[in-house]
Order: sequence, then structure tokens, then C-alpha cells
Amino acid sequence: MTSSTAIETTGNRTVGMGRIAVAEGPICLSAVLGSCVGVTLHHRRSQRGNLAHVVLPRCSSQSSGAGKFADTAIPQMLRWFEQRGTRPADLVAKIVGGACMFGNGGPMQIGQTNVDVATQLLRDVGVRIAGKDVGGTSGRRITFDCSTGLVTVETVGNPCRTL
Amino acid sequence: MTDIRCPENAELEVLHQLFASATHDASAAMCRWTDGLITLTLDEVREIPLEDVCTELNLDDDLLTMVVLSLAEEVGGEMVLTFDEKNGRQLAASLLRRPVTEDSDWSDLEKSALTETGNILGCAYMNALTRLTNHELVPSAPYFIQDYGASVLQQALMAQALTCDKVLICRTGFHREGEELNWRVLFVPTEAMRKAMENAIHSSA
Repeated sequence: MTSSTAIETTGNRTVGMGRIAVAEGPICLSAVLGSCVGVTLHHRRSQRGNLAHVVLPRCSSQSSGAGKFADTAIPQMLRWFEQRGTRPADLVAKIVGGACMFGNGGPMQIGQTNVDVATQLLRDVGVRIAGKDVGGTSGRRITFDCSTGLVTVETVGNPCRTL
Repeated sequence: MTDIRCPENAELEVLHQLFASATHDASAAMCRWTDGLITLTLDEVREIPLEDVCTELNLDDDLLTMVVLSLAEEVGGEMVLTFDEKNGRQLAASLLRRPVTEDSDWSDLEKSALTETGNILGCAYMNALTRLTNHELVPSAPYFIQDYGASVLQQALMAQALTCDKVLICRTGFHREGEELNWRVLFVPTEAMRKAMENAIHSSA
């Protein structure tokens, strides 16, 4: 498993498909989501945060980057915090995305499966999920503020929502 | 464990030939549909790393008007026809022989004009690929979508993303009387479709 997909950033950044970005302080991480899910982890006291742009629920290849799959991205994100002395119980997670943009949602109804697997993995390790904006048929643009942990969700034709 | 396999440059060249032939047929259909105004040319057949797809295709977080057709079979793929708002409205107005509307909401008639455009293009494209690959390809009814282009493309990429970290995309551009329009057709084939196309070219060589 390629582990070098966590991008440590010191400036605002858009996180592409299958990537994880990590930051500290007044940095905003953003992503545009369709069937993919954005998973954020935040530690309030240190103002550290991660955003994973997850494409698929379960790992099917050891040569892909960890950020591509929910079941490799979330452990990678947790390891980053663990290396900095932060336990899963001290983190807050938010999950956004997993839409069905057209038709029947693509192979395996991938959007909903991404949400379900990410949710279960976080619960299994004791991370509190403080907000979700998932499903539906619209795309989402999210902005994750690492200083506050707030996630702003923009969808076409609807007011912004903050998690 | 699944091996990740991605085409080499020679294979891309082979696929380029086949897509160029399909684009030629789609261009003829588009020309007839628009009374000779609009034609298509094949921009590129590319292999792009998954994390760079939206940036490389200049999608990012732009809101686009799109028509999507799906080929749900194993030998299949997704076709996404994209316009910005202005160009979408202009096309609908031209087809309906009406002035361009400034309403914020699209009328059912305007949506119908665009979805029919997608249908005509999609069917011409698929008929050509059916002939070239000897696989019957039947597109879905078109979906009219106004949303972030990147969001729609994510779902279109899923079949490829299951087995590959790079995705193959065929991009086609539109022209009106020599001027390039801000419209695109993106065709994202499944891996089985890619193999069928490569086999078709190799067997005809």
C-alpha cells in the first residue's frame, strides 16, 4: 500500500480524488464530491485536521494510494493523529457526499456504499461522527476549516449548510 | 489482489484511431441536427491519474449543464456532454428557433432540446462503436443535469476506478463556422470496452 498520499499543506488546498490532505491551523481544505465521500477528522485543541477524498469503499489493490478506499484512508488518517499523540476518541469526524448523480448510482451503488463503510469504520474505532450530509442526487462542494473543524457544504440551488 | 494495468502509448494511439472514426460519424449527425452549423473534432484520448482528472479537464468546481448517457453493460461506459450555461442556452435557442432566454430556470422545452442533442450524438457515437467493435451498444435515455461537472464525472469514472488508478478519457470538441465552442463530450469507457476496441483495431490490422 502506497502510504505517501497524505499531503501536508500549509496553504488552502483542493483535495483531488483518492487523496488525503493534512493541515494545522487556519487552513481550508476543499473538495467537490459526487459519488465520492469526503471524510474529515479534527482535533479541536491542536487545530489539526485531515480531509480524505474517498472514491471506493474497500481496498482492491495494494498498489493504489491509501486515500482511494475508505478502509485504507481512515486508518491512514488515524495513524497521522496517533503519531502526534492524539487518540481516536479525541477526534471528531464528518462525512459528506455519496450522491447518486444519475441513473442507478453506478457500479455497486457506490455512493451509498462509500457512506456506509466510512460510517462503520469510524464507529468501530470510537471516533464520534458529529455531522453528515450524504446521499441525494446533487453534487457538493465542501470546505473544511482546520482551525474550527467546521465543514461548509454547498449544493446547487440550496443554501449553504455548515456541519 | 487485483493487478493495476494501464494502457501503454501504443494502445492509446490505437484507441485514438477508433474514437476518431466514431467522432466523424457523430459530427455528421450533429451537423445534420443543427442545419450544418456545428461539427465535432476529436481533441484527445488520454490516460489521466484519478486525482488529477478534474483539474486536467478544467472541471474543478464549475457549474455546468450536462447531458449524460450510460451504457450499463460490461462493454460499456458513460458519455457526458457538457456546456456552460451561456452555451447551453444558445444551443437550445438555436434548435428551438427562439431568442435566448434569461430565465433562471430552464423550461421543459429547453431541456428537451438539449437532451435530444445528447441522444442524437450518443446514438451516432454508439452506432459507430458498435460497428467498429462488433458489440451492440445501446445507450440509456439521456439524463439532463445541472451541477458541478466534477461531481458528475466522479460517478462516470467509477467503473474504471474499480480496477485502475489512471482513467482513460476521450474528449471531443465542438466548432461552429471555424470557432471553437465551450462544449465538450467526454466518453469514459469501461475496461471491457477498452479491450473490445483494442481487439477490434488489432484484428482489422
